[in-house]
Amino acid sequence: MRHRLSSLLWFCAPFAVLLALWAILVPHFDVNPRLFPHLDSVAQAGLEGIKDGTLVRHVGASLLRVTVGTVLALLLAIPLGIAMGVSPTVSSFLTPPFRFFSVLAGIAWIPLASLWFGYGFGAITFVIFNAVFFIVTYNTLLGVSTIPLHVRNAAASLGAGRWAMLTEVLLPGALPNIVTGIRTGLGFAWRGLIAAEMIATNVGLGYMLFVARDFYKTEVIVLGMIVIGVLWLLLDRLLLAPIERATSERWGMVQRV
Amino acid sequence: MKSLTIRNLSKTYFDVHAGANVTAVRDLSLEVPAGEFVSIVGPSGCGKTTLLNMIAGFIPHTGGEILVGGHPVKGPGPDRGVVFQSFALFPWRTVLDNVAFGPKMRGVGRAEREKIAHEYLALAKLSAAAGRYPNELSGGMQQRVGVVRALANDPDVLLMDEPFASVDAQTRMTLQEELTRIWEQKRPTVIFITHDVPEAVFLGNRVVALSKGRVLEEIAVDLPRPRVWDDLNEDDRFKALSGRVLQLVRSA
Repeated sequence: MRHRLSSLLWFCAPFAVLLALWAILVPHFDVNPRLFPHLDSVAQAGLEGIKDGTLVRHVGASLLRVTVGTVLALLLAIPLGIAMGVSPTVSSFLTPPFRFFSVLAGIAWIPLASLWFGYGFGAITFVIFNAVFFIVTYNTLLGVSTIPLHVRNAAASLGAGRWAMLTEVLLPGALPNIVTGIRTGLGFAWRGLIAAEMIATNVGLGYMLFVARDFYKTEVIVLGMIVIGVLWLLLDRLLLAPIERATSERWGMVQRV
Repeated sequence: MKSLTIRNLSKTYFDVHAGANVTAVRDLSLEVPAGEFVSIVGPSGCGKTTLLNMIAGFIPHTGGEILVGGHPVKGPGPDRGVVFQSFALFPWRTVLDNVAFGPKMRGVGRAEREKIAHEYLALAKLSAAAGRYPNELSGGMQQRVGVVRALANDPDVLLMDEPFASVDAQTRMTLQEELTRIWEQKRPTVIFITHDVPEAVFLGNRVVALSKGRVLEEIAVDLPRPRVWDDLNEDDRFKALSGRVLQLVRSA
């Protein structure tokens, strides 16, 4: 507990320094608020956004898209990745294209997505879906194909049938890779989301940022940037990292991305 | 416990590197009565691991037949428990859950299968490690888990593929003594593959020497039990038997 508290403090310390510099330097040099806002005006914008509900609405819209896109992607990617990983032939055939689409970041899909789904929820969710789907499928496939044959044989000789092999061996065996895939995929998805929302919608954090620029409201832009970063840190540190610790580290299984 | 009958067994496969058909096991016959402990020795490439993989059902045979209690082997199954050289434990399950895996597959309820697992863990002096994960254990302890995991499923035949080859010499001797002790209590039918001649003699009722995929010779081991290294190290009959098997293996 003490250790965790001190590591939390160490994590926050550089941000505190950054805020302090901001609070001192921006007024000191009398920076034009059309170029960069004062710290207190950002705080003000944050409070107002919470009070009148606009900030909450934008954050809610962004989180909903990420959640829907990610859940849909996981529901398809994990079974598909396992099915592909079971057969060495299928897995070696499909590895290159899945690798290709994994590194092709979600943002690249925005033009096509907006042609297919029009502006709004559909297009953006599709971008997020793609960012998560390919990476998680690829990692699941990788995870399944790296389960040693001996371990699968052991389960079979202990009486595991097809279903038990799937749920008791392939899924848990691939889980460390799956979690790594989700972590990487969500990272891409989050960036893709903001970019997509700047182009293809009228609500969401990306939209909030982009529109504020038209009115020179730098305090809203910076507020949006802070919210985007903080939400990601919370998601990653409070949800994804603990799952990774509970699986791969506890089990002593090797990580591969 | 059931008997194991192998009749005119052979295995031919296409070796990609050699570009030709290779016969790993040819016309091999072996009769193992229920409750016997048979050690199979031979140099690398004599077909002993291929033989075990066929009995386990991991790879198909190309000729002859394998019968367990009169029933032909068609694939892996819980009637044949396997202990692997690489342990092959499930890293995502605790030691207790690893050992309870077989009973779970049979549909045994949680309380009952954990009771079974605890009983077998006690047999191998592993009770203290029940809640640990495999990667937190030494190699010797992991292989103890491997042995009791196979035993807890109550197989008709226990197949062991060089199970102690990757642990250090002291641990190996302890594991061998534990295995004979457990075998005397439970009396399973055992096929034990090894290239270590003293180990084969120490453990077996019978030692079968393989060469080029065939049975070279079978030697009965009539040493008294319980067997412990302190007694057998200087035992003349043990030394004579080991010497004979060693000669056979070297001539193979």
